[in-house]
Amino acid sequence: MVASIVSTGLAIGCIYALIGITYNVMFSASRVFSFTAGTLGMLGGVLGSLFIARLGMPVAVGFLLALAGGVLLGIVTEIVAVRPVLKSLDQHLYVLSTLALALMVQQFTAIEWGTEARPFPRLFDIARGGFDQQFWLPMLACAGVIVGLELLYRHTLIGRAFLAIAEDTYAARALGLPERSLRMASYALAGAIGALAGFAGGEMLLAFFGNGPMLTFYGFVPVALGGMGNNRGAVVAGLLLGLFQQTANFLVGGIFASVAVFTVFIIVLLARPEGLAGAAVQRRV
Amino acid sequence: MDTPMIQVRPSRADALGATSTFGVALPFLVLLVVGIAFPLFGGGYWGVIATRACVYWVLVSGLNLVVGFAGQIAIGWVALLTLGAYTTSVLVAGNVTPELSPYLALAIAAVFGAIFGLIVGLPALRLRTFYFAITTLGFATIVTQVALAWQSVTGGGVGVAGPIFPRPFDSQWGFYYFCFGLAAICTWMTANIAASRFGRALTAIRDAEVAAEACGISKPALLGAVFLFSGAVAAVAGGLFASLQSYITPDAFTLDLSVLFFIAILIGGRSSILGPLLGTILLTVLPEFAAPLVAWSTFLYAVLLLVIVLAMPGGIAELLDFKNRRPLESGRAIVPRPELLTRLLAAPAEAGALTLEQVALAFGGVHAIDGLDLEIRSGQIHGLIGPNGSGKTTTLNVISGYYAQQSGTVRLNGTALPVLERHRRAHMRIARTFQTPRIVGSASVLQNVMIGGTIDGQGTFVESLLSLPRHRRDEAMLRDTAMLALAAVGLERLASVRADRLQHSELRFTEIARALMLRPAFLLLDEPAAGLSAEEIGRLGALVVAIARAGTGVLLVEHHADLIFDICHHVTVLNLGKNLAAGTPAEIRSHREVVNAYLGG
Amino acid sequence: MPISAADPLLDIAGLSSGYGKIGVLHGVNLAIGAGEVVALLGPNGAGKTTLLRAVSGLLPWSGSVRFAGRDLAGASPRDIVKAGLAHVVEGHRVFTQLAVLDNLLLAAYDLPRGERSARVEEALALFPEIAAKRHERTAALSGGQQQILAVAQGLVRRPRLLMLDEPSAGLSPVLVDRVLVVVRRLRETGTAVLLVEQLIEKALALADRVYALARGSIVLEAKTGEADLPRRLEHAYLATAHAD
Repeated sequence: MVASIVSTGLAIGCIYALIGITYNVMFSASRVFSFTAGTLGMLGGVLGSLFIARLGMPVAVGFLLALAGGVLLGIVTEIVAVRPVLKSLDQHLYVLSTLALALMVQQFTAIEWGTEARPFPRLFDIARGGFDQQFWLPMLACAGVIVGLELLYRHTLIGRAFLAIAEDTYAARALGLPERSLRMASYALAGAIGALAGFAGGEMLLAFFGNGPMLTFYGFVPVALGGMGNNRGAVVAGLLLGLFQQTANFLVGGIFASVAVFTVFIIVLLARPEGLAGAAVQRRV
Repeated sequence: MDTPMIQVRPSRADALGATSTFGVALPFLVLLVVGIAFPLFGGGYWGVIATRACVYWVLVSGLNLVVGFAGQIAIGWVALLTLGAYTTSVLVAGNVTPELSPYLALAIAAVFGAIFGLIVGLPALRLRTFYFAITTLGFATIVTQVALAWQSVTGGGVGVAGPIFPRPFDSQWGFYYFCFGLAAICTWMTANIAASRFGRALTAIRDAEVAAEACGISKPALLGAVFLFSGAVAAVAGGLFASLQSYITPDAFTLDLSVLFFIAILIGGRSSILGPLLGTILLTVLPEFAAPLVAWSTFLYAVLLLVIVLAMPGGIAELLDFKNRRPLESGRAIVPRPELLTRLLAAPAEAGALTLEQVALAFGGVHAIDGLDLEIRSGQIHGLIGPNGSGKTTTLNVISGYYAQQSGTVRLNGTALPVLERHRRAHMRIARTFQTPRIVGSASVLQNVMIGGTIDGQGTFVESLLSLPRHRRDEAMLRDTAMLALAAVGLERLASVRADRLQHSELRFTEIARALMLRPAFLLLDEPAAGLSAEEIGRLGALVVAIARAGTGVLLVEHHADLIFDICHHVTVLNLGKNLAAGTPAEIRSHREVVNAYLGG
Repeated sequence: MPISAADPLLDIAGLSSGYGKIGVLHGVNLAIGAGEVVALLGPNGAGKTTLLRAVSGLLPWSGSVRFAGRDLAGASPRDIVKAGLAHVVEGHRVFTQLAVLDNLLLAAYDLPRGERSARVEEALALFPEIAAKRHERTAALSGGQQQILAVAQGLVRRPRLLMLDEPSAGLSPVLVDRVLVVVRRLRETGTAVLLVEQLIEKALALADRVYALARGSIVLEAKTGEADLPRRLEHAYLATAHAD
């Protein structure tokens, strides 16, 4: 029983953490939290099921196409919902523009894909075991993304440029960095990560349009608790969230577990708006 | 600078004529008549649609105060509809209590709604926009899940029958009139709030929060009242919704519905009652005209939202705002009439002083101000100058409560001012302006100035909701005072113009007029001359002199050395957070160290 | 307005700019010849930083700005840096999360891969105090060292004109001299410099010419050798209303 709680909790936690990282990658490039983060996760599951189960493509091709779909939505988010409002005086417009885009994608999926949850194909043809692929795939994806991002940020110039823009966009522009292309690249990267989260967690979450708002909410919890822009914080908080949710699930039942998560989220946020891990962002005076 | 002087013909009627009560009320009267006469030409199915529009509007009218006025992005308000629907249905069905009358059940639902509205809303006081939006979204998800899980009470997935209201409201048209009546009352109440000091204060919190605080507006109290009201009407809408549906399951309360409510407000336009009302009708009716589109309705709403945000942030309300499309006269000049100040500031300002004693504040090891002494006396203009980073604005921010000093005291007539607590400064008659004007762009100039007098109103939120006599007296008083303040600074001809159409210099004078609404004992001006032409600076100087002559003590933080030297009684020069020199303008002007500090020597 | 060089490297005419509705610059005329060091002085709020921001494409503007014969209308900050005009912004805004070396590599972002480290080394050679810390996180540097790093960033591209916005702010006198020595050396290598400075005497000692900006307009233009310059500057600073 405990083993089941732990493996489910960690796997779900990895998905939340990946969506949290999706939020962070977009936020770092633009100071914008986008409602499309959870939609990307939903899309990864739906596209994976569409390409592999319905259209019968090989797993690898379906995987790459699902990621491509995420990249596309990431880029569209940047062009349609973020770039036009960045210069606006009312800095909260992005909440509305990204919400609108997320709703459009979600409704489109509901109509074209259907409103019932459909199964996601098994990716590897191996017998179900105690520690099944539906558990280790999200963990593998999460570990892969963390290592990949570290390599990107530490060892490539474009990765350092991402960090530079995240720290001080104005100074980055003055230095002649191509801020706009870098922001677009960040959104493409975030799109791929979000789609990967949904794809790797497809078997657990199924291919279901309603995963969008669910992931948008639960994926934001690690960001809020881990500190915005802080990927390590997001992973730790995501794993804790997954474990907490599954434990509460077991102890008080599925529905009230959500209430418990929500209550804890609100209380922690009200007590520490800057997140559990993060100190308040230092401002230059 | 080179604009010719234009003779100003001050005319109150001209300024106020554009906002005639009848013109504002006309569309509502038309809707009222159409609504009452509706059963004459509407068929059975259209009756359901019309009833649904009324029910939605009951909720949206309250949510409009939260979203459209206070600017809080509450996207999960369907949760309160769900709450109200289940509370009413369950109480009437008698699942947990003896069967209650539908009216009593509806009233209890309203109380529950108010409480939960407050609970859902209060995080808005601490959380940033997106966090709050996500919080309401999460709440909406949770409420549906609870409805599904709590089978013994809610019937779970099977659902529960909605209440049936007794005669005469049990027939289709009877129930329609019941809902229509409530919708009309909600319209009237929210319109009353919108036109009250509370409505203006909400928009100030939305668009110019620091200015709202400086005017003494208490955000927790005001938002609390609005969330209580909005939650209550949303729950009432829920009870009506359950009755209209006749049977409710958790599926009935999808996020799509929340989206509809939210988007109706944004399509309608912020700080408007008519716009969101039309938006609600539009979104309820639109899918009925094109049956194949029903499945796509939420998609289309989302497209509309995106278009609105990107292309038409003002919504329907701005489209209908013909008055503000008339071009403004160009080359207009601000001609203050300082002689009016004695009437405006008539309250006998007791002579006193605002003093700083050894005030110090450091940011991360850098001493912004370091042991500063300062005394501003009633009726005098005290200039504060110094190079960049010398601590001028920091000083002003400590006095007005935006920063907490680490040591030292600020005293008003000998009594220490509480640290921080900026909204209490207004109650002590300390007013201020800002380096960048903080204005509600979508409100008229007059409304912006009236915001300055918010704390002088006597009536409560409920009195304004019901338009009781004290509310009407407050409004008349604030309007008269604001017109006087506008005339004094020379802007009364622009009173009815949307503030975001004004030039920068006019916004500066608007801010001064707003500050004068407090009849301030002390007025803190933060670089008021920045961005003004030489001629405007001259008029500003004359105005400030007249304000001081009327008994107000003025602290003038300025870069323009000439203005300081022209009008100040006393000048303090700051350098590196310390008092470098103090004295009369003549003394300062010949002070060698000052010249050196300015020239960086 | 007299121009010292026949064909100025930077030629600004009738430049107006500001933030939204707030006009800060009202028709500024200013020219810098190749290899010339020009000081831009003026009281707080006069618009010095705004001028630099406008010229480097960080703010919208109207008027005419020509650099090395090229019209800069509509050019992005990146285009302008590529054209050889580097802007070291106020307040030593380097990237504190990155290593010193990475900060400099970012300044070389658009250079061919093979040239980057050579250029970075070239800039580091000028500043031994940060060269020794090249692998440290920039957050560990003192404010003065960060300012020096910011100047070094500006030099990585071998600009034809370097605009420095208050490089001495917050620096100890020793470090101020270090930075200003670099400016002097730049002149020897033929790089033009536009220097915004609060330390007037030091700026005057360094510059060939000086402009004073007050309330968004140029109120004084002079060679630094002119005898009554301090008095005229004082007038420009403290009696701005009567200067125009």
